[in-house]
Amino acid sequence: MNALVLLAAILFILMTLIGGKKGARSFFAIFFNFGMIIFVLFFMNDPNINPIIVTLIACAVISCINLFYINEVNIKTKTAFMSSIITIVILILFIVIVTEKAMIQGFGEEEVEELSVFSLYIGVDFVKIAASVIIMSTIGAITDAAMAISSPMREIHYHHPDISRKDLFQAGLSIGKDILGTSTNTLFFAFFGGYLALLIWFKDLSYSAGEIVNSKIFSAEMITILCAGIGVTLVIPITAWITAVFLVKNRNKNETVE
Amino acid sequence: MKKIKKIPYQQYYLYIILSFCFAASVMFVNHNESFYDRPIAEVMEVDLVHSEEVTDIYDNGDRLHEQHLIAELKNGEKKGQQIHIKNQYSASKAYDQEFHEGQKLFVSISENKEDGTDLTGTIIDLKRDHYILIVGWIFILILLLVGKKQGLFSIISLAVNALLLSYALDVYLDNPETSLLLICSIAVILFTILSLLLVNGFNEKTYAAIVATLLATFISLLVTYLIIWVTSGKGLRYEELQFITRPYQMVFLAGLFIGSLGAVMDVAITMSSSLFSLYEKNHNIPVKALKRSGMEVGKDIMGTMTNILFFAYISGSIPMLILYIKNDSPLGFTLSMNLSLELARALAGGIGIVLTIPIGLYISIFFINRKKART
Repeated sequence: MNALVLLAAILFILMTLIGGKKGARSFFAIFFNFGMIIFVLFFMNDPNINPIIVTLIACAVISCINLFYINEVNIKTKTAFMSSIITIVILILFIVIVTEKAMIQGFGEEEVEELSVFSLYIGVDFVKIAASVIIMSTIGAITDAAMAISSPMREIHYHHPDISRKDLFQAGLSIGKDILGTSTNTLFFAFFGGYLALLIWFKDLSYSAGEIVNSKIFSAEMITILCAGIGVTLVIPITAWITAVFLVKNRNKNETVE
Repeated sequence: MKKIKKIPYQQYYLYIILSFCFAASVMFVNHNESFYDRPIAEVMEVDLVHSEEVTDIYDNGDRLHEQHLIAELKNGEKKGQQIHIKNQYSASKAYDQEFHEGQKLFVSISENKEDGTDLTGTIIDLKRDHYILIVGWIFILILLLVGKKQGLFSIISLAVNALLLSYALDVYLDNPETSLLLICSIAVILFTILSLLLVNGFNEKTYAAIVATLLATFISLLVTYLIIWVTSGKGLRYEELQFITRPYQMVFLAGLFIGSLGAVMDVAITMSSSLFSLYEKNHNIPVKALKRSGMEVGKDIMGTMTNILFFAYISGSIPMLILYIKNDSPLGFTLSMNLSLELARALAGGIGIVLTIPIGLYISIFFINRKKART
């Protein structure tokens, strides 16, 4: 039996056992997200389409899957969605500049040997694709952090309906500070687990510190980790502010209706 | 000295120290050429001499350009001399770059220089250290600005973990006969204790999370190992594991182990802090109610956490996938070649996350009961 199928089957059983219907939805969300990646791939192959635009659209759809499909459409998920999109737009501007300046696109010299059978002049813009990759690797963490802040803020607002916008914003920020450490840790370990082979490679071939830092592969991975960290940090004040504004505005609207 | 001063001054000093560190480090990387053995040259003049359309055998159109660079050597015996370099690049830039004035490059200088002619050479790579430094500083500053004290602790915990990982790998390389999994297990225990204590402080909640994390990580590793053993690794294309100098299955499993650790810690601390806060609010809360609320919290975080790992692992393969498809590889072959290991990692990490929910729940309840019995 195929190891991947068995892994997926066990994950599905565990998720439905523990999470019930919501667990099953979470499992299918992974498959929809996989579909989105294939979809993105398809459009990135066309040199006439800007990969950044494709990524932005894909990020919006992925946030919809992660927020609206797994949870429901309500004020919590709506503000989390808006905050994720705003964070991604800000982050992508930064990342495009960084990837262009640091030239971390494409493949490093360590990889290129085994790619000798391939034609590398394929006409797509690898700089923009590199920026898209960084954004895509962070999108999961950004929607998670946005949801983790907007959801308890809704609870606070529910229990203290008279809370001012400023206090609500402060409460959101302090929730954000609590999850900051674990979110950055999650990303850090995920990336380092993925790069373990590369780290052993550098040490085995006794690269000097200077060679490691300046090599394309290491820089690309460092910049990915750092940008992901910047993303999950930026989403905290943005979500706290947007959720505070919307919850308080909603309350005022309800009062005038009544 | 500065720490003895009154509290309001501390922050003030912190800002001064930070900006000093920032300025000093930026100054350093911009003028650190003499610390490198390899020759470094700064591009002074760029001249585009030629460009042409090319089409490869798969009908992919691209543009090739050739530029002539005049650069000034910044270190070594020939410091200050000019060097002429030819550089070819394509519009897609998969494995080449277009250079601009002011960039610093590692170059190799051609030896066969006749008297009276200019130095020539070839480009090895771009000097990237200052870009990493600046992005690193932006990360640190944003983390401090948003997280204040917690931000500082996260930075410390990241730095300590990175050093620990590097040290663990050194130990492994010095003792190749010891299993990488054993070394990683010890490292994982240290990572968990250090990061959770740093982020959450010394309290019952943290202890419960530490125990839950360790149990869940080891069980999920065992489950994954069993699955790979039962299926004899069918469907996993180890040959595409890049940068391999050591037994590949061990490296893969160790990477999987460390990779899911962060997510498992995140779930464990979320479970234990939400259960403990319920207990703090109402000391007489029945165990049944705790269980129900704990499961609700677990259901809420399960989906988004598995997606974090999914995207962190899968996205990195996109450039390679595009290269395969553009070289007319069939889609099924491309996906199974490039994604099998990443998918396995994401799924195994997901199993770890889901297992942490009941484990974290019962361990927290156990710690709460112990606390109840003592009071």
